[in-house]
Amino acid sequence: MEIGFSLLIDALPGLVWTALPDGNIDFFNQRWCEYTGLSLDRSIGSGWEAAIHPEDLQELLESRRLTMNSGDPREIEARLRRLDGEYRWFFFRSSPLTDTDGRVIKWCGIITDIDRQMRVAEEGSRHWWRSKGARENHFRSIVDRLPVFVTLMNPNGEAVLANRQVLEYFGATLDEVKGWESGSTIHPDDRSEALAAWQRSVETGEPFDFEGRHRRADGVYRWFHMRGFPLRDSEGRIVLWYLLQTDVENRKRTEEALRASEINLRQIVDSIPGLVCTMSPAGAIEHQNQQILDYFGKTAEELRDWAFTDAVHPDDLQHVIEVFTKSISTGTLYDIEHRCRRADGVYRWFQVRALPVRDKDGRITGWYVLLTDIDDRKRAEEALQANERNLTQIINTIPTLAWSARPDGPAEFFNQHYLDYLGLSQEQAQDWGWTVAVHPDDLNGLSDAWQHIMASEEPGEIEARLRRFDGEYRWFLFRANPLRDESGKIVKWYGTNTDIDDRKRAAEELRRSEAFLAEGQRLSRTGSFSWHVATEEITWSEQVYSIFELDPNLPVTLGLIGSRVHPEDIPLLHDMVERAKAGKDFEYEHRLLLSGNRVKYLHLVGHGIKNKRGNFEYIGAVQDVTERRLSEEALSKVRSELAHVARVTSLGALTASIAHEVNQPLSGIVTNASTCLRMLAVDPPNVDGARETARRTIRDGNRASEVITRLRGLFSKEDITTEPMDLNEATQEVIALSLGELQGNRVMLRSELADGLPPIVGDRVQLQQVILNLLRNALDAMSAVEDRPRRLVVRTEQDESDSVRLTMQDTGIGIDSQNLDRLFDAFYTTKTAGMGMGLSVCRSIIERHRGQLWAAPNDGPGATFSFSLPCQPAGLKGATSIGGRQTPDTMNRRRVMRNL
Amino acid sequence: MTSKCPLVSVVDDDESVRESLPDLLREFGFAARAFSSAEEFLASDCIGNTRCLILDVAMPGMTGLDLQRELALRRQKIPIVFITAHRDENLRPRALEQGAVECLFKPFSDTDLLEALNAALRVN
Repeated sequence: MEIGFSLLIDALPGLVWTALPDGNIDFFNQRWCEYTGLSLDRSIGSGWEAAIHPEDLQELLESRRLTMNSGDPREIEARLRRLDGEYRWFFFRSSPLTDTDGRVIKWCGIITDIDRQMRVAEEGSRHWWRSKGARENHFRSIVDRLPVFVTLMNPNGEAVLANRQVLEYFGATLDEVKGWESGSTIHPDDRSEALAAWQRSVETGEPFDFEGRHRRADGVYRWFHMRGFPLRDSEGRIVLWYLLQTDVENRKRTEEALRASEINLRQIVDSIPGLVCTMSPAGAIEHQNQQILDYFGKTAEELRDWAFTDAVHPDDLQHVIEVFTKSISTGTLYDIEHRCRRADGVYRWFQVRALPVRDKDGRITGWYVLLTDIDDRKRAEEALQANERNLTQIINTIPTLAWSARPDGPAEFFNQHYLDYLGLSQEQAQDWGWTVAVHPDDLNGLSDAWQHIMASEEPGEIEARLRRFDGEYRWFLFRANPLRDESGKIVKWYGTNTDIDDRKRAAEELRRSEAFLAEGQRLSRTGSFSWHVATEEITWSEQVYSIFELDPNLPVTLGLIGSRVHPEDIPLLHDMVERAKAGKDFEYEHRLLLSGNRVKYLHLVGHGIKNKRGNFEYIGAVQDVTERRLSEEALSKVRSELAHVARVTSLGALTASIAHEVNQPLSGIVTNASTCLRMLAVDPPNVDGARETARRTIRDGNRASEVITRLRGLFSKEDITTEPMDLNEATQEVIALSLGELQGNRVMLRSELADGLPPIVGDRVQLQQVILNLLRNALDAMSAVEDRPRRLVVRTEQDESDSVRLTMQDTGIGIDSQNLDRLFDAFYTTKTAGMGMGLSVCRSIIERHRGQLWAAPNDGPGATFSFSLPCQPAGLKGATSIGGRQTPDTMNRRRVMRNL
Repeated sequence: MTSKCPLVSVVDDDESVRESLPDLLREFGFAARAFSSAEEFLASDCIGNTRCLILDVAMPGMTGLDLQRELALRRQKIPIVFITAHRDENLRPRALEQGAVECLFKPFSDTDLLEALNAALRVN
């Protein structure tokens, strides 16, 4: 820039100097040196004074002193010696350069050659004071020949003389021209300014310099450059003004045209939608359009210092300066993208291009600079780049293996994840390289499938195993999708391989466990079902269909089930539906009646749960228990036969025992009585013998009586072991023991056992025998019932404050109220096979527990048997005895038995 | 007198039988001896001259049937009339099969007994 500036200074059409604030000259330009023949070193300081004409030096120095004191610009003419020794007139002008505070930091001056003008004026003035007439003529003869307009004026500014050109131009006499100052010939637009400037010059004595239009004789206005110089006497008083007028019309026109062109250009520049400026060859901004000022929100001056402001983004600035400096110094195209700060502080991206303008010699005369806002494009690019980065990231980080292949099959891209998985490089996996990782067993299938997919030109998928970098094979789902061009031709295949190994294994596991389950169900003849009660939706496993001998394709309904259930068990089905509607779990044994009158026994268990959707449903199992059932029945039959035999046997033994014990004394009685009769029948009768035998008869009779007494004692005097017990528990145990019998008899049992029942004291086994007896009686009473449900209700409750009651209500054949009293008598029975001992024994057991046993007919069918027992008195704990004697045991019982 | 009358021996663990039955036998005109067990009878000197044995079936120790077998082993062919308080219908045929003359169930009448004794003496 310094160089550029220096060139500029040297190119100026004048001699230029600068001085320090104290007036000490520190610089002359090249032209000075060339003109004066003085080197710069010899010129600075006061060396330059040697080039000033001695007559003018004093005045010049004085003028400079005044100038520096006042700080005002000042002008003065002086003669300057040329290199060849000739003095020429120059016009010295200087002005201060001030900082923002108004302090002078430098003086700048320019010295312009005015020698020609001055000589003309000098001639004039010289003649002026020699001989007025001669001078006048001489002057006239000279000035009339000069190709300029010359007018001489008195110190008041009134024209006293004008050359011929003037008079001819204006087409007037001198007197008429004298009225110049009235301005009548000056263009109206220039008049007031011209007069004011002239007036000022006259008043101050300063040279007059003005450009304005003057009306020619024909009325046409032409441009003139008017310069007026005062001529002073030795005392410095102005004695004369000489005014030179140069026709500059042509130049002016050119200038006008240029200006118009410039304005036009400027308008174009200002209105183009870009930021434009021009720079000097050295890179200083010279001119800029309005858009730049508007954009930056800075003044032209501020913009010139762009390198030291925030106009360029700080991050870009250094690079911009480097590129800029390089371009300016080498004269090459400047093209760079950087951010520029908008007036509101926002940085936007610009493309800045500067083109050097060269003259015909190839020298750079300036730079044209265009700044184009590319922020939106840049952001779009950035977004695109970010998007691409993002996509790449996604592709490389998605937990799947992604790839692409050419239309004819060879792979061309693998995402990082894929390569990492394979442990191969892109080059290794390229084309068909990746297939080395395919499991040998799957390779053919995969290859066929891939060929098929490519041939079909449709998306497709296949499962195959791929070897991981560590050697482990995992199952993948290969999926391929074609990418088509506008004509529909496939240009590429995109694919993903998804790791389905865990799923595959889980599915395998599931399949296996399902197979196990099915096999298990088949082997155990157990099926499973679910039953959504609200929607009546029932699902069966295969085995249930098989058990019901139904087509697995049939939808399961209650009606379908009912069609297979044994007609006698239909009430059980209804009961089950009722229980299910009440949300209770259920367990049943019922029969199916199948073709050919075959009967199957099923054991059914249902457990109610809330499923995942929050709906209530039953999950259950159905087992075909026919074989078990049949064998149970057979066993049961054997058992009951055995029991019967045992009962008969023991009864026989008992009877025999009783008979033996009784027959012995009876035998004695009969024998003695016979002997007695025979002794009395002889003559003479053997009275003593007869008395003796009669005495023995009485004795044996008593002995027989004792046997009977002992026999009664066996049953009536027996003691019982007692303990505190829970009647509910005892009842539940009996029910549990009897479930098989209940279901076998297709009896629906309902137990209503009261909560918080107080304990009782008694012989648990004996009381359970009573309950069992009552339960069996109820079953027997219902065994012939076919026209109504066989229902049994077992209920416990606290009777009054001091006793608990158990009630057993059946729907059996019932009892005749007339026979109620006899029910509990021994040997009374309504059963064809009964001994009539059960209820008698029950009552004696209950009574020995200080309780009561009674029976009543129902309002409807059936009868109700009840017993009540006293509660355990408060504070009485542990084993105790109700009977009179303390510790009879089974051994004792046996001994009594044997002694009978 | 004693030697003229045929001897009938009674073996029964029941005392009332041992008391009453010999008196009735004597009324019938037999000589009678009573033993409380089979072992006591075997140990006595009456085996040889007993013309009829009235034997209880069920006795502690050796039963009536055991004694019958024992006498058979000793080749003592004494006619036996079994008596028993157990009315076991199977018992009678078994006893008769093994050579008993009769099997009477207690209590039995005097005439039934006399008939059985007469039958036994006829065997001899």
